[in-house]
Amino acid sequence: MRRRAVPKANSTAVRSTEGSPVSFLAIDNVSFTYPLWPPVVRAVDWDIAEGEFHCLVGRSGCGKTTLLKLAAGLLHPDTGSIRLQGTELRAPGPQLGFVFQSPTLLEWHRVIDNVLLPVSLQHPPTPLEIGKAEQLLTLLGLSAHARHYPRQLSGGQQSRVALARALILEPALLLLDEPFAALDAITRGELQDDLLQMCSLRRTTVMFVTHDIAEAVYLGDRVAVMDRGRIVRDITIGVGKPRTPAMRYGAAFNSHCAQLREAMDMASA
Amino acid sequence: MKLTRTRMRVGSFALLLILLTLWELAVHAAGISALVLPAPSAVAHSLWMGLSTGYLWPHILATSLELLLGLSVGCAIGFASGLAMAESKLLQGLLKPYIIVSQVIPKLALMPLFIVWFGFGMTSTVVITALICFFPLMENTVTSLQQVDPQRLELFRMLGATRRQTLLRLKLPAGLPGILAGLRVAVVLALVGAVVGEFIGASKGLGALIIASQGMMDTPLMFAVLVVIAVLGLALYQVTLSFEKWLLKPYTQTP
Repeated sequence: MRRRAVPKANSTAVRSTEGSPVSFLAIDNVSFTYPLWPPVVRAVDWDIAEGEFHCLVGRSGCGKTTLLKLAAGLLHPDTGSIRLQGTELRAPGPQLGFVFQSPTLLEWHRVIDNVLLPVSLQHPPTPLEIGKAEQLLTLLGLSAHARHYPRQLSGGQQSRVALARALILEPALLLLDEPFAALDAITRGELQDDLLQMCSLRRTTVMFVTHDIAEAVYLGDRVAVMDRGRIVRDITIGVGKPRTPAMRYGAAFNSHCAQLREAMDMASA
Repeated sequence: MKLTRTRMRVGSFALLLILLTLWELAVHAAGISALVLPAPSAVAHSLWMGLSTGYLWPHILATSLELLLGLSVGCAIGFASGLAMAESKLLQGLLKPYIIVSQVIPKLALMPLFIVWFGFGMTSTVVITALICFFPLMENTVTSLQQVDPQRLELFRMLGATRRQTLLRLKLPAGLPGILAGLRVAVVLALVGAVVGEFIGASKGLGALIIASQGMMDTPLMFAVLVVIAVLGLALYQVTLSFEKWLLKPYTQTP
């Protein structure tokens, strides 16, 4: 399964890290096929600059989750390469934060221990790190729930814990796979604002997969539209930053939504 | 009327009293011989005599010892082999057919062989008890460890967890409820194994006593021994439940 791509010629030797802004995450001509299935990701090129928030939209089954897993190093491309800060990505690691579709909390651990899981797998958490986890929970409005178990929390609160867990190691790159899809509109809005705030605070680079057009426009600096394994459109979102809930009803926001919708319709036509 | 736990218990106990009274009355009214069906009072008398004279105690002790030894050995081996098979597809492929064959052969059919191998007495019974407990624990361990949510496994991969960490910190805790359900089944089967093993292979123990009481045509004693076995089984099951509850505290409690 773990086929590694052989770079064609040596055209893309390590890019210079000085001078022109080097992309933080560089996806270069990446294809991926699960055994015995048609290709899921086909010749995708995509660059994310440091500190940018990119959204990846597309219909179910278009390959967006697979692309995200490739970017995380959970899967390895058949051809092409994925480079993080100029070095080829070989395996997942602490420089990456990943949030799954469901919160995937460990139900036998308290909330605080769930947040500290990435730390405790490396070494017993220090008081400093515990303090950091508590601070994260406070930022996400969960300070009262630190000693509770996940089952005592609502769906939105569980998603927040999963977010805190992904942020505890202060990853440079955060990858999210439809993390808020199962939440109601109001909770989802709150979590979107929390996410934007946390990421701009740390200048985290983000790749966010969603099938929700309004969510993509609200969160993203740039949106990639994916269809049948290819990225078919690249839309820059020109809505002011920081985003505020009121913007959701503005003309600029809605015209971007319409544009994105049109791009998705054209793609699947 | 609301069905509370206490009410259910009281009702359950009342039903027992009613049944015992009916039984007692029926035996006297119909004049059934104590050899066929002794009255509850006769059984109680026999039980009291057995306990107070100390006649029953060595047998209870022997059966309990076989039960605990067989249970621990069977569960330990069952858990270990379940773990090994869940972690290694190769082992699973190699061993599974043999284990299934060993389980479809009625264990009791092996008892005469065990008597030849291990002699008449405790060892044979312990072996058969262990053999019976082994299977539910192994099956549940394999299934529980392999049914861990794939997203959680990916999470652990994402966090760079080692194989050992994934086993100890994800698979075992996630599979614990299933493994303990296997233990509950094993405990119940262990008592069956010990008693039935004693039917054939022992001169001491509650199973051997049932056979002896049949030979002596002492049916009240037979019933008394059945009562003791039932109490022993209930006690062991309750202990297992408490153990399970204690282990699963983080999964259920609401602080």
